[in-house]
Order: sequence, then C-alpha cells, then structure tokens
Amino acid sequence: MKFSRSAARSARFERLGIDLLLLGAFGALVSGVVVLAGRWHAPIRTAVEIDLSPLALPGYTLLSLSRGFAAYLLSLAFTLVYGTVAAHSKRAEKVMIPLLDIGQGIPVLGFLPGLVLGMVALFPRTNVGLELACIVMIFTAQVWNMTFSFYGSLRSIPAELHEVARLNRFSWWKRFRTVEVSASVIGLVWNSMMSMAGGWFFLTVNEAFTLGGRDFRLPGIGSYMSVAIERGDTRAIFWAIVAMVLMILAVDQLLWRPLVVWSERFRIEEITTGRPPTSWVVTLLRKSRLLRRLRRTFRQARRAAAQAAPAAAPPEAAWAAGAAPVALRVLTVAAGGASLAACAWGGWKLVSLLVQVDAQKWRMLALALLSTAGRTALALGLAVLWTVPVGVLLGRSPVWSRRLQPVVQTAASFPAPMLYPLVTGALLLFHVPFGLIAAILMFLGAQWYVLFNVLAGASAIPHDLDEASDVYRVTGRGRWTTLYLPSIFPFLVTGLITAAGGAWNASIVAETLLYRGKTMETFGLGTLITRATHDGDFPLLTAGVLTMSFALVLLNRTVWRRLYRLAETRYSLNR
Amino acid sequence: MPNESNPAPEEAIAAVRGVDKTFLDETGRERVILKGVDFTVRKGEVVVVLGPSGCGKSTLLRVLIGLIPPTRGTVTQHGRPLEGLHPSAAVVFQNFALFPWLSVEENVRVGLTGRPFGAEEGTARVKAAIDRVGLAGNERSMPKELSGGMKQRVGIARALVSGPELLCMDEPFSALDVLTAELLRSEVYRLWSDRSTGLSSVVLITHIIEEAVFLGDRIVVLGANPGTVKQEIPNPLPHPREYRDPGFQRIVDRIHDVLTGVHLPEEPAGSARAETAVLPLPPASVGEMFGLLEILADHGGEMDLFAIDAMTDWDFGRTISVVKGAELLDFVDTPKNRVLLTDAGRALVAASPSDRRPLLRRQLLRLGTFTTLVRELAKTPDEPRRGEEVRALLGTLLPGEHPVPLLQTVINWGRRAQLFDYDVATDELSLYAGASSDDTLA
Repeated sequence: MKFSRSAARSARFERLGIDLLLLGAFGALVSGVVVLAGRWHAPIRTAVEIDLSPLALPGYTLLSLSRGFAAYLLSLAFTLVYGTVAAHSKRAEKVMIPLLDIGQGIPVLGFLPGLVLGMVALFPRTNVGLELACIVMIFTAQVWNMTFSFYGSLRSIPAELHEVARLNRFSWWKRFRTVEVSASVIGLVWNSMMSMAGGWFFLTVNEAFTLGGRDFRLPGIGSYMSVAIERGDTRAIFWAIVAMVLMILAVDQLLWRPLVVWSERFRIEEITTGRPPTSWVVTLLRKSRLLRRLRRTFRQARRAAAQAAPAAAPPEAAWAAGAAPVALRVLTVAAGGASLAACAWGGWKLVSLLVQVDAQKWRMLALALLSTAGRTALALGLAVLWTVPVGVLLGRSPVWSRRLQPVVQTAASFPAPMLYPLVTGALLLFHVPFGLIAAILMFLGAQWYVLFNVLAGASAIPHDLDEASDVYRVTGRGRWTTLYLPSIFPFLVTGLITAAGGAWNASIVAETLLYRGKTMETFGLGTLITRATHDGDFPLLTAGVLTMSFALVLLNRTVWRRLYRLAETRYSLNR
Repeated sequence: MPNESNPAPEEAIAAVRGVDKTFLDETGRERVILKGVDFTVRKGEVVVVLGPSGCGKSTLLRVLIGLIPPTRGTVTQHGRPLEGLHPSAAVVFQNFALFPWLSVEENVRVGLTGRPFGAEEGTARVKAAIDRVGLAGNERSMPKELSGGMKQRVGIARALVSGPELLCMDEPFSALDVLTAELLRSEVYRLWSDRSTGLSSVVLITHIIEEAVFLGDRIVVLGANPGTVKQEIPNPLPHPREYRDPGFQRIVDRIHDVLTGVHLPEEPAGSARAETAVLPLPPASVGEMFGLLEILADHGGEMDLFAIDAMTDWDFGRTISVVKGAELLDFVDTPKNRVLLTDAGRALVAASPSDRRPLLRRQLLRLGTFTTLVRELAKTPDEPRRGEEVRALLGTLLPGEHPVPLLQTVINWGRRAQLFDYDVATDELSLYAGASSDDTLA
C-alpha cells in the first residue's frame, strides 16, 4: 500500500539513469584530463591569439578551471605540510605563523613579474613556465586562509583524542589520517571553497599581462576577458561573464556542496544546529546502485586483504614512536636553515634594489599610499552603508537568509575585475571622475565580504534578546542601537578586515584600466605598481609592493586588531 | 475549573478563550501546540502554569501578552480585546536575555523604553529597581561579570522598573543552581507581596512541582500533545510555605496524581489491547528503561512512581516517558501510582547483556509499529530505506505523532535489539545485516 509496484519500477529506471549519468561524467572527466595534459607541451608563444567568438569560450573556461584546480591541489599540499609542521613544532611555529600572517596581507600581484621571468627562464621552450607562473599566482591568492584554518583545527583538537591515539599506539600516518585530518575536514572544506573563489579574482591579470614591453598570454577565460576589454567588445565581455558564472555555479554544485555534505560526518559536537546541508548530487550518488555495489566490493576486498595479512603492525608502530619525531626534527632544522639562507639572500637582493629608489620617488610613494588609503576607506564606507541595513533586514528572516546565502556566495566568488569595464563605462556616462570610479571598482569586490558577514551576524541575533526588545518596546532607532548594531559588530569587523585586504589588493587592477584601447588611470599606489610592472622598473615595483605590505601590516596591528579586541570583549554574544 | 471559568471581566488582567496555536514543523506538517485553551489571570494572584516540556506553556504565555497571535480564539486584557502588546506586562526570561554590551543600569533602563517618564524620574526608578533586587553598587557592572543569580536579578529589575501590573516569568529559575533558585523564589514572593511597586499579578511558567506549590495561589496543569488545560488546582496554603508541611505535600501529591492521569491513563483490566496494535512510542531510550528495571529490581520489584522520580535526575515528564515505554514493552505494570516489575521484566534484569537482546527483540515484535516496519523492510532486503520514506510510513501509521522523534525512538529501540541498522550519515534504515537465524520474525 505504501510502496506500490509502479513506483518501484520507476525508481528502478531512475537508478539506471543515475548510473548512466555517472559513467558519462566519469568518461568526460578522464578525456578532459588527457586533452589538458597535451596542452602543456605547446611551444611558448608570446601573445597567443585569443578567439573572441562565444564558441571558443567553453574551451577557455575549462583551461582556466584546470589552472584553478592545479593551484588548489598545490594549496592543499602546502596546507597539509605547513600546517602539520607548524602545529607540531613549537620552534617552527614561532616563525611560520607570523610569516603566514604577512603572506596573507601582502599584495601578491606584485610578485607576478619576477615569477614569470624566472619561470620563463627555467622553461624557455614550452608553455610550462608560463602555466606554472599563472598557477603559482592563483595559489598565492588561495593558500593563506586554508593553511590558517588547518593549523587552527590542529591546535584545537581535544587532548583526549591525542591521548587515545597514543594509548592505541597509532602510527604517525594513522594519527594524521584518523585524528588530524578528520578534525580539520569541515574547516578545510569551507576554506577551500572560499579559496577557490578568491583565486579567480586576478585571473584577468594572471593569464594576460605585459611586462617590460613583452606580452605574455595564456589561453583562458581571463585572457579572453582582457582582450575583450581591450577591444571594448561588449558582447564578448557579456559572454565571458556568463561563462564565469556558469563555471562558479557548476563547481559549487558538483564539487563543494557534496563535499560540505560529506564533511558533516566529521562534526565533533554532537548537537546539530539548524538544518543539515543538502546536495542534490549527494542524493543522486546515494541512489546509485552502481556505486553501492562498488563500495560493497571495495569493503569486501579490504576485509579479505586484512584477513590475508594479519596485524603486522608492531614494527611500523615502533618506527612511528621513535623515528617519526626524529625525522620531523631533522626536517624542521633543515627547513629552518634553508629558509634562513633564502631570507638572507632575499634581504640582500632587496636592499640592492631599494637603494636605487631615490628620495623623490619615496615621497611619491607615500603620497600614493595616502591616496589609495583614502580610496579603500571610501570603498569600505560604501559597502557598510548599504550592506548593514540590507544585511540585517534580510538576515533576520531565516527564510530569506537561507535563500540569499548561495546568491551572495556566487556573487562573492565572481572575480570583480571582470565587471570593471562595464561599470566604468556606465559611470563615465555620468561624468564621474576616474579617481572616484576606482574607489567604486574597489568597492565592487569588497562589498560581498561585508554583506556575507552581516547576514551571518544578523541571523545569529539571539531569539531571547529579540523577544526582550519586543516586550520592552525597543523599536525604531533604539532597536538598531541597542540590539542590531552591537550584535553584528564582531561579524562586521571580521567582514571589514577581509574586505579591506581585498580592496588594497584590488587597487592594483582598479586604479589603472585599459578600456576601449584607452588607458585610464588615477594617482595611487596601485597605479604606481602597475606602471612599474609594465615598464619593468623593478626597483620601483619592489618599493611599491613593500610600501603596501608595510601599510597593510601596520593597519592590521593598529586599527583592525583594536577593533577586533573590542568586538571580542564588549560585543561578544558568548554570555 | 467549573467555578472559575467566568470571572467578572474587570477582574481579569489578561485572559485567553478557546485558543489554538499551530506551527509548521521542519517537515512542513502542522503541529498543534495549544488546543482549546482557556486561561485567566486575575487581579492580585500568583498563577502558575505547570506542565512537562513541550506542552506549550511558554507559547501560552506569549499569546497571553500579545507577543505572538493565536491561530484561533480570543485574547483580552481587562475585558477588552488585546491589540498589540499587553499594555502593562513585563517578562522575565529563562536565560535572562540581558544585552551583553549594556551595563546593569543600562539594561534596567531598557525596561523604561517608550514609557512616559521624565529623565529624572526615569533615573530614580532605575536606581530604586536596582536597589529593590539587591544589586545596589553593581550599576556599572557588565552582565558577563555577574553570576547567574545576579543576572536574573537584573532581569527582574528590568521587568519591575516600569511598575507593571502583570509580571510574567518564563521558567525564571531553571538556569540557576538549586540554592540560588531557592533564594530567588522567596525574593520574588517578597517583591510581589510588597505592593509598593504597583505589581498586581504574577504568571509563572515552570515544570517543577514544588516551585508551583511554593509560589502559586492557583496552579494550572497543562497536558502535552497538544497542550490543553487538564486541571486547575487552588492552593490556599498561607505564606511562608514550608516544603515539609503536610498540607504542602498533599497538594504536591494531588498534582502528581493529575500528571499521572495525564500521562498514564488506566488501561481496561485484562490488557485487552490487541497485541499488534500500532501504538505511539514514548521518547525513552532503551538504556533509561533498563535503568528503570534495575532500580525496580533493587527495590523488590515494586515502587511508587514518585519514589522513582525522586531517585533519578529526570524531570517528571521524562520519568513518565520511561515508565510508559517499559510498560508498552510489558516489562512493568502500573496499577495507579505503583510500578511493578513483570515476569518479562524480571527475566530481562536477570539476563546477561547479550541475552537481553533477544528478550528485547521478542517484546518489540509484539508491537504493531515494529512488525509493520520489519515487514516493510523485508520486502527489499538489500535496499536500505531512506529516512524520509520511513518517516512518511510512520506518519501514515500514527497520524497524530511527530514522525521525527518517533523514528528516533524506533531506531534507538530497534538498534539495541539488532532488528535494524541505521546509518546516520546517509539517513538510511535497513534490516540488521548480521541477523541471526533465531527469531527475526516470529
């Protein structure tokens, strides 16, 4: 009566369909990888011709996507190694974590020229050098928060879990796999999602740029976009935007959503808050009979293997107990020595570059810094102005906040520089000066971090405080000053810190813009860095990047850290 | 409730008539929280609403003062229909609901928002309210510096600062330790009886029987699923009340009886119920039921329900659920307020942990809910069923029950008896894979 026969039959067809779909997807993936691998051997060519027809876009998109994934794999490997070492060695930690903090803050785009020249020198004949340079640039935009998250998770593993691992004589590898990775999977998945999104930001620059008069270009959606912008081809710009959005959505639905659902099983807390995440892909996979069979076969094979080779663990355990820490220590010392040597060499190089910058140029850099700082403040101000009221109103409704989250996430993943020409074109119609336009362009990317955090903060306003405000008739402006603004303050600060970092970095591409064959620029640190790159003026480039890094670290240490402390002490909701 | 159902309207500070309240739960089904509730707060009384968790007593309070609208029925204040919030009611919350970024003084001042007091009188009132709850000197403290008891004093001061007629307290002492709660209870009585604040009546929501008898002039017992008024018990004991006073105990016992009647209705003698009838399962775990059986066995196989309640740290509703579950499985019998170990229960206590499994399984397979489920799962032995399918099935079997907690109970019982396997990660239920040949389907 409950499960009728025809329903059973249609369910069987459904399962068959799912299995065929999965086989098809798998085949496509394999052939895609094979094709991509072939591209790397293509001979190096400066200024690859980019085909602006929409038909060429899917191919370009896949190429860019493969670079993003390669960079992500690199980030993941770096994260696992760096995070593990930093969490296990007290001495290494003291150097590695501040280093990570600085790495997160500095404008990575400034390193592109040096990296490209080095890589092209290493691989003069094939595209490998350029590809690697592009991948490393994407990597530098992805890696920081992943490593921070992994390190943070490792540090917060309950001591009992480590004790269980020791009492049961887990090998080093088993402990890493079952305790450390399991404890950090959730944070790692969320941060991977953010990182992958952040990695696209400079795609238009990473795939196509000029350096000292030479034009370097890789086929991809980023260079498609930059060529379209250069020529002022609005239709091509539009198609590139569509392709980019589709790619972001596809990666989110096919990869991240399922991973988020899967990672839920690693949650240590036993109480679940709110409804668990869902993914249609996971639902499909769970319905697949083929996968279930494969899983069963795999499980049986493993069991059989385990029976065939009964517990031969002791020697391995002994190795782990004694040798692993020694190996780790040797590794740490070696790594420490190597990085010291590298620092010394780099420092010497740096000084020799900086002495070539004269006092007048330093003065110009300082003025440019102030100008860009003003623009950043303006961009953040604009972001706060609209995201706080809108975010609070929407975030207070659980329905709307749930509906909007994926939209905001997609918007935040979209590389804002791709929209710069359209926005600039529109604003120029109203005769807005380009100095102001640049600030608005910086705001474009930064606003989403603020909105995202305000939404999260507004949905975390405790129900009883809301109810108390109702009972005591705290309405209108009083409601904002007593309840909403203080509640979201910690979230707002977190959002602003991320947005500020993004805005500073964005100034490099926002303050100078090639639009319809015409270069627009406004005075600022971003412009100086871009121009130095273009002219191959390495002393000025180095000085510019250094100035921006210095300003960022200084702002973090003073303004942001103070606000953060205020948020944590006074406005924390942990009562 | 016969003689109290129709007070003169001007006497009623707040009242609800024939109120229903329904919510949509997470599965999109309508859940009836309150059903046909009549409730009145009169001038100059402390009325306590008592009931197990989930009976909708907090919802009743919120409907009464206009925080949420009823689905059906009328809400009045002083005999007039209530529009918006009750004009002279204040609320003390279970978890204090203090603004963490405001000082004690500022938090208390929140209670004056929108009230027509001048700056000077406002300040004087805030100071007086803080004095009255014994927090003088702490005006500038932040909530996180205060203990739980002190936080609740701030909550009370905030409620009293505007001089309300009606004070509503939603489980105000349950987030506090036992001693602090005791102290605050006496103080609340003192604040109410000292009429200088203009406070006329108090509505107190609680699940603790002694608290209800200590403070209430009238105790309204609510039953759960859906929440309805079971009985109103007047409490004429003079203040100060003493827990060990025989009169106090008599009223406690009377409430016990009412709650028992609500939860464990007497069955027709001879256990005429059909063996395989599909009955709802109370939310009790196998571990708790086995614990109950052990306690009974240690006390000669027979105990008073309230003695059991006093021995465990469960609240009364939980005790009732566990006893009901054990009774459903025929491990205990409950004539009146007694709980007796049956032969099946004795056999289970005597059995080793591994022998308990088949015993439990045999009892489970006498329940219609389990036989139906096992039969359904056996149709496709190597296809697990998704949770939503099973919940839908349970929904058709037991339309009045909430399928989500019901399935949780089914899983808890069925897993322990090795009837089912359940994978939390995939939310899939299947027959136990390694089922021994003994007695899967007798």
